[in-house]
Amino acid sequence: MKVTVRLFGPLAEQAGAAQLEVVVPGAMVSEVVEAVRKAAPALRIDRAVRVAVNTDYAEPSARVRDGDVVSLIPPVGGG
Amino acid sequence: MFKVTSAPLSIDEAYAAVRRDDCGAVAFFVGTVRDHHDGKKVVSISYSAFAEMAEKEFAKIAGEAARRWKTGAVYIAHRTGKLDMGAASVVIAVSAPHRAEAFDACRFAIEELKKMAPIWKEEFYETGKAWVSG
Repeated sequence: MKVTVRLFGPLAEQAGAAQLEVVVPGAMVSEVVEAVRKAAPALRIDRAVRVAVNTDYAEPSARVRDGDVVSLIPPVGGG
Repeated sequence: MFKVTSAPLSIDEAYAAVRRDDCGAVAFFVGTVRDHHDGKKVVSISYSAFAEMAEKEFAKIAGEAARRWKTGAVYIAHRTGKLDMGAASVVIAVSAPHRAEAFDACRFAIEELKKMAPIWKEEFYETGKAWVSG
């Protein structure tokens, strides 16, 4: 399955792009994150980076369905 | 009303959005651009956001505030783009029947926003820049 991954803040800066596409064997959030790590090893995706599926935070075990957009959410700084 | 916008924020708009006849209190929080951080002089600040998700998080925060404090209405707006010194980056307004609930819910809203809203702050110094979280 091909998944669009959106990048924000420092991760977008590190990647030099606001999104990338990965092909994943399964359908779990954790598998998408692993695929991003392989596709873009320069990205610093540590434990502080949260993940959203579409517009909601999602656990690593959450399912990603065809057409979903996965977003990597680095530590936030609003306010 | 919940919004992420590149336009200047309006306290009048926030007040109009939350004032209600059954509420005797409106509490505000306004976050403004500060000229220093960790001893460094801040020249400018830029915010970026995942706007659609941030607005949804604002709505969730307001829903939780209503559940806990029986608020009348909650307004949350956050600015994006490059901001000048002193500009308002966030405006929160909360109405409630009495002041204690309005203050508590307003405090809750800004603290939750800072933890949950997908918004990023980049500070520019006289030399260099940094992403600032927390």
